[in-house]
Amino acid sequence: MSIAAKSLFWVISFGTLGYGLFTFVKPDDELLKKFDQGSKYTDARRVSHDTIAVLKEAANPNSDIKRLSRRDAQRLEKLQKAHRAREEVDATNENEDYFSGAFKIRSENIEQLLSHIPTLETNVLPQHFDNIKREANELQKFVVTSSFFLKEFNMRKYLGIVQNLQTKCYELEDRYVPRKKFGFTRKKLPKSHTQKENSMDENDGSGKTDSNKWDEKLFGFDSKEDKVLSLENDELFQRDVALRNLKNCTVGLRGVMGTLHITNLDNCIVLTGPVTSSVFIEKCTNCKIVTACQQLRMHSSIKCDIYLHVTSKGIVEDCDHIHTAPYNLHYEDLEKHFNMSSLDRNTNNWDCLDDFNWLAPDVPSPNWSILDVTERVCDWDEWWSKTPL
Amino acid sequence: MGFLTILKKLRQKEKEMRILMLGLDNAGKTTILKRFNGEPIDTISPTLGFNIKTLEHRGYKLNIWDVGGQKSLRSYWKNYFESTDGVAWVVDSADARRLADCAKELHSLLREERLAGATLLVLANKSDLPGALTLQEIREALELDGIKTHHWRILRCSAVTGENLLEGMDWMLDDIASRIFTLD
Repeated sequence: MSIAAKSLFWVISFGTLGYGLFTFVKPDDELLKKFDQGSKYTDARRVSHDTIAVLKEAANPNSDIKRLSRRDAQRLEKLQKAHRAREEVDATNENEDYFSGAFKIRSENIEQLLSHIPTLETNVLPQHFDNIKREANELQKFVVTSSFFLKEFNMRKYLGIVQNLQTKCYELEDRYVPRKKFGFTRKKLPKSHTQKENSMDENDGSGKTDSNKWDEKLFGFDSKEDKVLSLENDELFQRDVALRNLKNCTVGLRGVMGTLHITNLDNCIVLTGPVTSSVFIEKCTNCKIVTACQQLRMHSSIKCDIYLHVTSKGIVEDCDHIHTAPYNLHYEDLEKHFNMSSLDRNTNNWDCLDDFNWLAPDVPSPNWSILDVTERVCDWDEWWSKTPL
Repeated sequence: MGFLTILKKLRQKEKEMRILMLGLDNAGKTTILKRFNGEPIDTISPTLGFNIKTLEHRGYKLNIWDVGGQKSLRSYWKNYFESTDGVAWVVDSADARRLADCAKELHSLLREERLAGATLLVLANKSDLPGALTLQEIREALELDGIKTHHWRILRCSAVTGENLLEGMDWMLDDIASRIFTLD
């Protein structure tokens, strides 16, 4: 209590004394400056000057921004670091690229193990096979656990690869490590025999001659070699035309057809006018086909160049090495025939085929591509009358 | 009021039919579907996958599933078999070469357990084209007379001209209705 009273007394008395002095002297700027000059070189004065400079600097808005931006940069850096750390943990593992890379390494590893088999001693083989099987199983598990970020098509592809490796492993095991304890290995023999027979049958079915009981209904060309064949519009008009089993032939179809079926051609050139509905190409190799149609459907063909005018969409299935180019045929009545076929000359989707064996939308199909401009045949006129080389 | 709408919905559900449209590629399934639906048919691409259309016809709600017929898609057909009331099997009448294929696919389809009892309508499409096979020829080639497990009927039709499409659909509706909506 007394301390409070004392301190109050001192504050009031000194305060009034100071105020009295202040009013009595009435210090103006001149006087203050004089004081300032006088005490310029004292230590205490210098220190206080420095302090004021620092405080001024701190009060300066520019420096505020500098400091803030520095802190902001630090904060960002920290965030980025954390982000990077997180990425390293999750995303790298849950990213399709990473997956395909890892998958490739692992599957190649298994393949390598498989390739070692013939060189190994028989007594280490069982262990080696166990090893491979375990690897394959793990790989399968890896694919399955990654299923939540893989696209279904890719997933199926990867599983197919694993399956292949596994069957290969089992086949090799059967060959190199015969299970002597079991006496039923004979069973294999008739099975492989029937398999061979089946494949023979298939060959026959898809082989040189393709025929059935409806043959007399067909209109077109069948089983010819090294010939120049042609048909004109009055015969072709809106009919279902078939070309089958031709080799080294040139076929010129100057007219409007309803449908065109091209089956089992080898090294042929086919030049056609407009086809009102669809063109079917099946089992053709080394052919150049120049055609205009509403739909193109191409199956089981390899190494074909298609000079195409297609108003809706073309598809390929079980094909490889297919090249497309825009339709560039000319003959006298072509324009007239186009009008008769009611195909739209202005819509041509020759450069976007759908591949039924390639359902990944983001990766272009490896089975077909656009024919390089330099490799295209520009003028077909000479080909109407001569067979392919 | 709310109860009434629920009842109405149930009733509508009862009148729903699921129809599967199958056949080899290029038979004209999508074209028939679009023709039913009154859409233009000159820009149809080969079906990569499937199309579904829901139509109202004679008070029935028809869910028509048109599944692509390419070889690589046929193995997926079985995914659509569940609770199918009718199958419209579309045949290209002008494609004599592949009739054997067509018959094979059809008969393997009919052996399918989940399609047991489904009505089968065979549409011999493109019959307006020159060179198209006659109905009798297709009937023999597909061995339709041997089918005892399903109600079936074959009709010549053309998706382009629209011939017989409605007749076929009406027959199928009647057949399905007599089987599943016996109370009406």
